[in-house]
Amino acid sequence: MTATDVELIDIVKDFESGAGRVRAVDHVSVQIADGEFFALLGPSGCGKTTTLRLIAGFEQPTAGQVLIRGRAMQGIPAYHRPVNTVFQDYALFPHLTVEQNIMFGLQMEGVEKKEAQKRALESLEQVRLPGVGGRRPHQLSGGQQQRVALARALVKQPAVLLLDEPLGALDLKLRKNMQVELKALQRDVGITFIYVTHDQEEAITMADRIAVMNHGEMLQVGTPKEIYERPGTHFVADFIGETNFVDGTLLERGEAGFGMVKLMNDAVIRAQLSDTLASEGGPVLVAIRPERISISRADAGPAGAGMTSLSATLVDSQYIGTDTRFTLQIGENIELVARLQNIDDLPKAAFSIGQAVTASWGETSTTILDH
Amino acid sequence: MSRWFRRSQKDGSLLALPTVAWLLVFFVLPLVIVLVVSLMSRGRGGVAQMPLTLQHYERTFGIFSIILWRSIGLAGLTTVVCLLVGYPLAFFISTRRRPIVQQIALFLVILPFWTNFLIRTYAWRILLGDEGTINGVLRALGVISEPLQLLNTQFAVLVGLVYGFLPFMVLPIFASVERFNFRYVDAAQDLGANETRTFLRVVLPLTMPGVLAGCALVFIPSVGAFVTPDLLGGTKGLMIGNLINNQFGGSGNMPLGSALSIVMMGVVMLSLLVYVFGNRRQTGA
Repeated sequence: MTATDVELIDIVKDFESGAGRVRAVDHVSVQIADGEFFALLGPSGCGKTTTLRLIAGFEQPTAGQVLIRGRAMQGIPAYHRPVNTVFQDYALFPHLTVEQNIMFGLQMEGVEKKEAQKRALESLEQVRLPGVGGRRPHQLSGGQQQRVALARALVKQPAVLLLDEPLGALDLKLRKNMQVELKALQRDVGITFIYVTHDQEEAITMADRIAVMNHGEMLQVGTPKEIYERPGTHFVADFIGETNFVDGTLLERGEAGFGMVKLMNDAVIRAQLSDTLASEGGPVLVAIRPERISISRADAGPAGAGMTSLSATLVDSQYIGTDTRFTLQIGENIELVARLQNIDDLPKAAFSIGQAVTASWGETSTTILDH
Repeated sequence: MSRWFRRSQKDGSLLALPTVAWLLVFFVLPLVIVLVVSLMSRGRGGVAQMPLTLQHYERTFGIFSIILWRSIGLAGLTTVVCLLVGYPLAFFISTRRRPIVQQIALFLVILPFWTNFLIRTYAWRILLGDEGTINGVLRALGVISEPLQLLNTQFAVLVGLVYGFLPFMVLPIFASVERFNFRYVDAAQDLGANETRTFLRVVLPLTMPGVLAGCALVFIPSVGAFVTPDLLGGTKGLMIGNLINNQFGGSGNMPLGSALSIVMMGVVMLSLLVYVFGNRRQTGA
């Protein structure tokens, strides 16, 4: 068990606004381990950036405690906290050169100028941007500014690096490259990263663990695999990736985390219960990932153990490059999207619109969620 | 038509012609006249006549240098006080969350302009006089028994100048603070700068264009002020503007007045140079 680097204990943050109080962070508790790459994921306005600013010390919590390396941060100003931030718009000082920007934090610590200069140079090499020290921030491209912001924060060797949508302003290709680079850099320096993003793909590919936030609440914390494959709530399942939601009625909570649900076409299927499921029976949602659904011809024979099979009609197909999306109609009211990868021998030519097919998926690929 | 005219038609430089003509006739030409007059002798009735002489400049830097330095000193002090009062005020206005508060505050800053400057300066006479409001209140409270000499002092001139020119300091600084991105404050503190260092290393440098513009806009008219020192300063608060004014009256000395004017313009030019140089350094050009 590694040491806890950052701990939030029942954090609440209210903002006063013209219309009254707005709760930006709602009773959030989480522990982030030393050296972890931790992502705060959620739509805009979900409280993820406020949470980051509470850790940085730019905001004070209305209630609750922020602990960094076991030390309570209450009353400790941002400039005395062992954390540094990479801002969304980088916030590089426009009146200073790149080198002066990076040296700024060192000089505040009282590092001698020669030494600070040397470390600034090393830091620029670390982010693979040597030779730009004499330039002004506005003379650099967005990607370069992003690297300078990273160098400026890393040169302080913080306990925790806070990143507020650092790749948000970059174009897709550069963003993909930077994701790989940032992850490698984090492994190199071994610093805890707390990474705010609204991009679920970014969170999944980079983070060791993800916290999904909405309306100020931390809905679920887990590894990318846990979040993706065992979503705890409707919101999480919907926000992360593409999901089919099917209405049903929970008949019983069975053994070993599985339950039986009756769907609207009266079919009864077996699926895993979400870890936080509250329902003891009655209306629920069943979540099925499109890529976990396979399609076979209607006369293909019965499904194996642990599989669910339902008769369906193929109503639409859509070619989207890597995959083809098939829309399936089950009974009167159920519509499912299935995604099949476009590999050479996919017999998709064998499926035509209007054809009767069998849709099947593994019971572990479906999750029962509260309605 | 000449080639010159056709080329000017094309690149649009003819558009500047009215302005250039106006400035030549009403600015450059009078300036040359003043310069020439300042080098001539004083004739009967204070008018200029030959031969050429440097004696007016000698007097300007001689017996009148005390007034010259007083003008520069008072204008400098006015600028400093305006800056010390205006900078926090501009910050206060700019950082109000509710737009209506901001608008009211800005409105109050420019409200004095709605009244004639002369009338407002006379109002200060009533406030500062021996039998004036301030002395009256202090006497009624028993703080003093004899009236304080407030009017006809350099202090009164300073008060009047600060009062008159404060808006010229506040408005450009306000514009600068409006452009300032407060994310830089977060960034500075994140990097370990406390409040003082954040201000000195980040906020002040980035609002310096407004500070420089405000200082120029206050210092330049303050150096040449003559209504304020005339009404509030008496003989002790006489400034170069009053001296110049006197030279062009009945028993004046036009060549001396011209020499004083040229020297005052020199002071203004120097302060403008400081402004331009300071701005260059700020923008890093």
